[in-house]
Amino acid sequence: MTVLELRDVHRTHGAGEAMVHALRGVSIAVQPGELVAVMGPSGSGKSTLLNLAGGLDGPTGGEVFVEGTAISQLSRRSLAALRRRAIGYVFQDLNLLPSLTAIENVALPLELDGMSVRKARAVAAKALDDVAISELALRFPDEMSGGQQQRVAIARAVVGERRLVLADEPTGALDSQTGESVLRLLRARCDAGAAGVLVTHDARHAGWADRVIFLRDGLVVDASGPLPEAEGLLEAAS
Amino acid sequence: MSIKYGLLALLERGQAYGYQLRASFEESTGSTWPLNIGQVYTTLSRLERDGLVQALGENPQGQRPYEITMAGRAALATWFATPVGDTERPRDELAIKLALALSTPGVDITTVVQTQRTASVRALQEYTRLKNRATGGDDISWLLIIDAMIFRVEAEVRWLDHCEASLLRHQRTRQETSTAETEVPDQAPEAVPTSTGETTPR
Repeated sequence: MTVLELRDVHRTHGAGEAMVHALRGVSIAVQPGELVAVMGPSGSGKSTLLNLAGGLDGPTGGEVFVEGTAISQLSRRSLAALRRRAIGYVFQDLNLLPSLTAIENVALPLELDGMSVRKARAVAAKALDDVAISELALRFPDEMSGGQQQRVAIARAVVGERRLVLADEPTGALDSQTGESVLRLLRARCDAGAAGVLVTHDARHAGWADRVIFLRDGLVVDASGPLPEAEGLLEAAS
Repeated sequence: MSIKYGLLALLERGQAYGYQLRASFEESTGSTWPLNIGQVYTTLSRLERDGLVQALGENPQGQRPYEITMAGRAALATWFATPVGDTERPRDELAIKLALALSTPGVDITTVVQTQRTASVRALQEYTRLKNRATGGDDISWLLIIDAMIFRVEAEVRWLDHCEASLLRHQRTRQETSTAETEVPDQAPEAVPTSTGETTPR
């Protein structure tokens, strides 16, 4: 089943002469196991697209579907539940709660969703192990490096049964090697069956995606198609 | 770079004959630079002519190995010590293509830029996939070569982004200049038509 679908989505801000068309009829679909990168210059609509995909904002036209459910048809309560259960977010500013340890940060969405504290901690411990920082479980965010905090943020985004991971410039100001390890995690999560959308201005990061969509002035201007075989590409490059 | 120095570097490890050199060359470059045996022997002949390698006698298997000379070692050391200059690289066809696209009627340069960017990002995807497949135990020289390709293509995409932004700014400046010329004609103010204000700025 298609995990995320945007169908002819429009989003405008403001009104009259000040009206800004952030998105002007964008249609994309993301399947399980697929990582899609969205590129484009500043103001092209990348972050708007991600906010709409995650139900953090609503379209002014068209429809957003998550696992076949039209987001606009959901009550506020149902939408909040969908966001907690099915969607994980990784932002540039990590949004970790400073007064909670790594494992508490990761367990929080599960506990909010009604899972017992004991079970939520066990699931969170597994998620931290998956991103190779189980030994940091009891540290607070300010006791960790930027790369370690980003791993916690990724663990929180994928904990439980999240099928859709949305990442907005997730490597932020991390150095090249640490940033790459974050992208490897995202890639691994998608290889394990999640659907991912990665907003980035960095082509090297977009290289980790299965497909790359280019936005300009709120429109999809191009998208990378099926990839050629590796060997053919290497011969062409030589 | 030329095959010349690649072969000299391989011969610095020890004497070798043509097919061995070809296999070692491809192995060292992670098969990113396939050679045909003809290129290997042509290059070896030139190296021998220039005194940088010397051919040894045929072995019982009928193979004719080569070894590096002192002059060859000196040339190799100089090559490693010298940075690669821009003039030694092939002319940048893409830069020339964009420059020509600007002045060729009927060619939309933004389409040329986007077509190239899509192809470049696709190449990045493939290189990244190869890199992701490689594990920690893989040959580090192979990973370095893949990284070199990734960073080179990334630089190209950044340059394309820059070109596009420059073109847009240039177009806006031209539009603003022409709009300003329309709005401020060389006439006395009382002669300006009343409809001037109806001009819709873009």
